[in-house]
Amino acid sequence: MDYQKLAKRIVQRATKKGALQAEAFLEVGRQSTVRVREGQIEDLTQSTSKGVGLRVIVKGRLGFAFTSDFEASGLERLVDQALKLAEAAAPSKLNGLPGAKELGRLGDTGALYDPAVANLPGDWKVKAALEVEKAARAEDSRVATFNAVGAGDFVSEVYVASSEGMSGGYSGTYVYLYALPVASADGQLQKGYWVDYKRFLDDLESPESIGREATRRAVRMLGARRVKTQQVPVLFDPLVAASFVSGVARAANGNAVHQQASMFAALQGQRLAGEHVTLVDNGLLPRGLATAPFDGEGVPTRRTPILDRGVLTHFLYDAFTARKAKARPTGNAKRGYNALPSIGTSNLYLEPGQKPPEELIREVDRGFYVTSLLGHGANPVTGELSAGANGLWIENGELTHAVQEVTVAGNVLKMLQDLDGVGNDLQFRGGAAGAPTVRFRGLTLSGE
Amino acid sequence: MPRASAPPRRAPPSQLAPLAARRPVPAPLLPQGLLERLLAVAMERGGDFAEVYVERTQSTHVVLEESRIKSAQTGLVQGVGVRVISGAKVGYAFSDDWDEPALLRAASTAAMIAQSTGAERAFPVSRVAVPSHYHVPTPLSDVEVALKASLLTRADKAARAFDARVAQVNAAYVDQTRRIAVANTEGRYTEDTQDLCRLSVHVVAQGRKNERRTGMYGGGGRVPFTHWETFPPEEVAREAARQAVATLGAVDCAAGPQTVVLAPGWSGILLHEAVGHGLEADFIRKGTSLFAGKLGEKVASELVTVIDDGTVSSGRGSINIDDEGTPGERKVLIENGVLKGYLYDNLNAKLMGQRSTGSGRRESFRHLPIPRMTNTFLAPGNHHPEDILKEVKRGLYCATFGGGQVDISNGNFVFEVSEAYQIEDGKLGRPVKNATLIGVGPEALKNVSRVGCDPRPDPGMGVCGKNGQSMPVGVGLPTVRIDNVTVGGTQVG
Repeated sequence: MDYQKLAKRIVQRATKKGALQAEAFLEVGRQSTVRVREGQIEDLTQSTSKGVGLRVIVKGRLGFAFTSDFEASGLERLVDQALKLAEAAAPSKLNGLPGAKELGRLGDTGALYDPAVANLPGDWKVKAALEVEKAARAEDSRVATFNAVGAGDFVSEVYVASSEGMSGGYSGTYVYLYALPVASADGQLQKGYWVDYKRFLDDLESPESIGREATRRAVRMLGARRVKTQQVPVLFDPLVAASFVSGVARAANGNAVHQQASMFAALQGQRLAGEHVTLVDNGLLPRGLATAPFDGEGVPTRRTPILDRGVLTHFLYDAFTARKAKARPTGNAKRGYNALPSIGTSNLYLEPGQKPPEELIREVDRGFYVTSLLGHGANPVTGELSAGANGLWIENGELTHAVQEVTVAGNVLKMLQDLDGVGNDLQFRGGAAGAPTVRFRGLTLSGE
Repeated sequence: MPRASAPPRRAPPSQLAPLAARRPVPAPLLPQGLLERLLAVAMERGGDFAEVYVERTQSTHVVLEESRIKSAQTGLVQGVGVRVISGAKVGYAFSDDWDEPALLRAASTAAMIAQSTGAERAFPVSRVAVPSHYHVPTPLSDVEVALKASLLTRADKAARAFDARVAQVNAAYVDQTRRIAVANTEGRYTEDTQDLCRLSVHVVAQGRKNERRTGMYGGGGRVPFTHWETFPPEEVAREAARQAVATLGAVDCAAGPQTVVLAPGWSGILLHEAVGHGLEADFIRKGTSLFAGKLGEKVASELVTVIDDGTVSSGRGSINIDDEGTPGERKVLIENGVLKGYLYDNLNAKLMGQRSTGSGRRESFRHLPIPRMTNTFLAPGNHHPEDILKEVKRGLYCATFGGGQVDISNGNFVFEVSEAYQIEDGKLGRPVKNATLIGVGPEALKNVSRVGCDPRPDPGMGVCGKNGQSMPVGVGLPTVRIDNVTVGGTQVG
């Protein structure tokens, strides 16, 4: 089936039936996942899926419906429902699809599709996952069991068509390997987690290195204990730092800023961190997991610095919010076929610094190196962060014993000011948000 | 009762919809003949068990922002999943294309997990009647969207009228009418229609010098739309606004161990995180939970009795059948502090020589079923809530909660307290901000020293995530006192 044509046909049908503007967002995908356990397949899943969402504007009112039913009758119902729903919404002059000016010229994404991933032999994932498990076991005898070990791939296609002249599509590939071993000693269980997730097979780390690193991370947590309540320098490893910068970026959501419901609301143009802190959203990052020529409503993606050498420079916008805030859309409309676009990040990362992480640790007398956080992260409205933390204790610049059942708490604005070290080890681990190791001058740690 | 703990009361929705008003049984999602053909194909390579899962979910989502209905949307998601089990191995394939050839292809893909060349066999199924724990005479998908939207405009008005410091109100209404059918090679065919709705209101209050506080409240369940007559959006909105305004001027929370008193209701996520997940049979079978091998052992204070109940009338987590076709159940997990049982789905139950407790749930046909909680609550005790508070010289009163999370292996759990007050000499003092509680499941439950006589379910807004699958759940807790809990905050000493 020619999905690009189908998307156009749905748009035509909607305008014919009374929509002033219409836009179809269509997704098609196929994926396959495998999990292994004790040298055997645990489960194997294969699927194909598709769906289309239709956005219409009628007399300034917005309606949206979606379906995974591509039968003629299903698509007919989709159009009728979207039109009917527009009746229930309030009219607004701001409603409207991105126009010619906003659609503009597409940037250069480079390749997003790897034929080697799309054509992976059927048993490749099983073999790779078994190798991951074997390596994880071989790394340390204290591995007692696994939560899961697995591999997966998928191929996705996206098509957008609109009455305003948008017509485009692209396809991409993804492949991943992960392990969640559980180590055991003296009655204590500790889990480890490691993953690699890439668009290109050649970029993917070896199964052996995934398995070994997962085990190292589990085993080093054995013997974990609480420490006293105190204020100390705290480091976040790249995984934890990535979730921290995702939290920071939530406050750069142009809609929240416009509504004064963000800690960044009144701070544009101000210095929030040192020169060494640059936080970027980049929809055109070469080989990035979220790299795409256009966003969920056809607007070209681009590179947007949120914190540029410490200064809060840009917020993220979709077309609607940009119009509302009298700003420029940044190509940050995120969506699936089953939802309206909303503002989100693409490839988000903190640019790396010069120092290797070991050096950032060595410079700390007593402190805490956090390797996983529990909880939902920072509140983007108030900037408050209070989360459970696991990690390793630092004494005289050396990692010593494991720590658990403590929390770290602070305010993001204060934490940005206190961010005094950025490692050279930027990595994207399992998602489109990446970061290097970061260090904060002082955070409150709650324990005994 | 302390003022900080008065969420709107919820009328028992079963009274709203008498059994006589049950809606007619709809036509089957897939013809029985096709289901049986799919089972036969699924077993053609000699699997031990196969199951066909059919789902059709119609949903509505209305959003209000800046006092306007920003959008209204509806959607249809439908698909069929075929699962084949061979020993401990599972093959699964799903399709959102209901064309017979596409479904047969999915069945034969799933069949590949089994290696032998089994003979052609027939797998007749017959419909098994299931109990009914929710009564929604008119499907929520049939209710006019304009009515749903009007709930939000009413909520917006009430929130803004509550206090001049209310600066921003966002509200959302979501519902779904989810029909499922499960047929398996044991001959069972079951069907259920699961309506579910929720209204939620987020409020930002603005204090002096750019101080912002947030409040969030919501509720719903497997209830008819008339639920909103007795649980009006105005009440939901005022509670969200109250939280936001009440916490303006909050002081930094002291870090370190404290005595905490939990308000009844939504605080039940403590149980959900501290013990519930650790009792799910997949973690137990794999030995990745610290509760594995502890049946019959004392894992909590004797004041603690924990129950998971899929049969609560109209509950958000209630199920007539789970997503493997097993009826929902009421299960005592911990009785007077002693570990009594785990939560089983079919696969883990079989591998462990047990029977399913009706805990096999899945987000949609795109997912494999896994053991999950339904409505999890702590049985009430004898202590009067006012006495519980009065007895505390210094501590923290936790009135409303954000979310929680647990690391199954080491048992570390957190839950975020969105509204809390200092307790001084048995009375509530200043509001504190940025508090999180952390503990290790069994240790925290051993420190439960008072359990109130005021059981309360949450108002119906819980979402539980596990293995990337989201699931509606209910929780509940009476007023509870826990000693020596590590409280995360920013204030040292």
